[in-house]
Amino acid sequence: MATVEDRVKAVTAKTLNIDAADIQVEHSFTFDLGAESVQSVELVAMFEEEFGIEMDEDAALSVETIGSASEFIARVCVEQGVAIEG
Amino acid sequence: MKLILLDIDASARRNFDPVGLSRPLFELRTGITNLAEKLIAKTKPDSVACFIPEYLAPVYRTETAWPVNDMSQLADDDILLVNPIIKADALNPACDKSSEVVLAEDGTLLYACVRAGDVGKIEGACINSWVDNARAVLPNVKANLPTWNYAWDLMLANPDQLTVDFGVLGNSGIEGTVEQPNAIRGSSKDVFIAPGAVVHPMVVFDAEHGPIYIDENVEIHPFTRIEGPCYVGKNSILLGAKCREGNSIGPFCRVGGEVEESIIQGHSNKYHDGFLGHAYVGEWVNLGAMTTNSDLKNDYGSVSVILDGSRPVDTGSNKVGSLIGDHTKTSIGTLFNTGSMVGAMALIMATGEPLPKFIPSFAWFLKGVTTKGFGKKKLYGTARTAMSRRGKEFTDEHEAMFDAIFELTAGPRLTAIQKGRKQMAAR
Repeated sequence: MATVEDRVKAVTAKTLNIDAADIQVEHSFTFDLGAESVQSVELVAMFEEEFGIEMDEDAALSVETIGSASEFIARVCVEQGVAIEG
Repeated sequence: MKLILLDIDASARRNFDPVGLSRPLFELRTGITNLAEKLIAKTKPDSVACFIPEYLAPVYRTETAWPVNDMSQLADDDILLVNPIIKADALNPACDKSSEVVLAEDGTLLYACVRAGDVGKIEGACINSWVDNARAVLPNVKANLPTWNYAWDLMLANPDQLTVDFGVLGNSGIEGTVEQPNAIRGSSKDVFIAPGAVVHPMVVFDAEHGPIYIDENVEIHPFTRIEGPCYVGKNSILLGAKCREGNSIGPFCRVGGEVEESIIQGHSNKYHDGFLGHAYVGEWVNLGAMTTNSDLKNDYGSVSVILDGSRPVDTGSNKVGSLIGDHTKTSIGTLFNTGSMVGAMALIMATGEPLPKFIPSFAWFLKGVTTKGFGKKKLYGTARTAMSRRGKEFTDEHEAMFDAIFELTAGPRLTAIQKGRKQMAAR
């Protein structure tokens, strides 16, 4: 069963067109993984689609790393009553 | 007699989206003047007051000297209440005779005359209950009077209204500065250039088919060609524009490229090349270079507009371009389909293809889909910057008004965002 972190890495890899195996939990979306501003918006949308949640865009876009994104999404899933592990 | 402008039908006014979302309907333009100015010119009241949706009131109070949503105005005078969708030319109230409520066949209140002696018979804690009470107390009369029913009605009537308004205003001649060489085709009596306007050399005014009204402090750059009928509002700048017939350009606009039979409310920029035809553009809009709208289908058929994200409305016209709400910005190369409805506070990035016909308010349209983007606070920041560049302030009242518009337009936007996510995921 995939963890939230695994799913965040998979979505990030697909959206940014990079290999999931190269993504580390401490990686920054912008500095380490090269996400441009429009891709940040895509990432938020893709996380919402993957997890079936609605995120506040300001809060979501303030998240900087894979690890903090995983924690943020897990928290939103709990708040919105969505099963965490897919 | 006191004229009360009555813009309180929350449902019907949505037919004027997106340009009616952020202003009273009577502030919408057609021809040289707006609907309120036409109604005032027709009825010649001693004073004016208005009732509008509460979410618009705080901003509008900063823009008008008229009392807004003030129930004390409904007293001590003969009152003419007018729904601003009624065409001023058709309004012939006989308020000096008796009180009456005039209704359309579907029951919509068109106008009501209330003699001073009858005002005391009508009670109501708010304007809606007061109007309901007036309908119950006063004689009701059915009338079949022409009305404006959609935003595109104003745009489609614009050429004729321009000609009528030019005659009503009665101005003619050159009072501004016209640097030679320039050319006027047709009669110079059909051209008015107001004091303070500056026309650079190599500008053509073609008034053969309609009058041209250039208002105060307009600046017209070389190689601009203006076909009448046309109105250019105070302090606007035309930059080598190809102004085809039938345009109303409000104050403080900057317009280049090709524009035809369009209304631009004011404070909007279409600085560069690109075609805008049969469009109604709100305020503080910026159209990036080469932004173009189609205004004619390839099969010459009637154009439909999707007002609410789902329900196409047949305009009955084969020429309808785009309707664009306040503060919307387009990137370079944006292509709008025929009959496009683009909400307020939208930010649009071109795809190279014609965009969907419905783009909701507050949409960040990126890579071909509607997204949440960077949210409304970022859009407010952009609005604040854009307005400050023209010496205006995006106030807390503006923010509260647009917060209300955000809620009013939430349903279609959420649907579009969810659809966009699925499209993105499928790539």
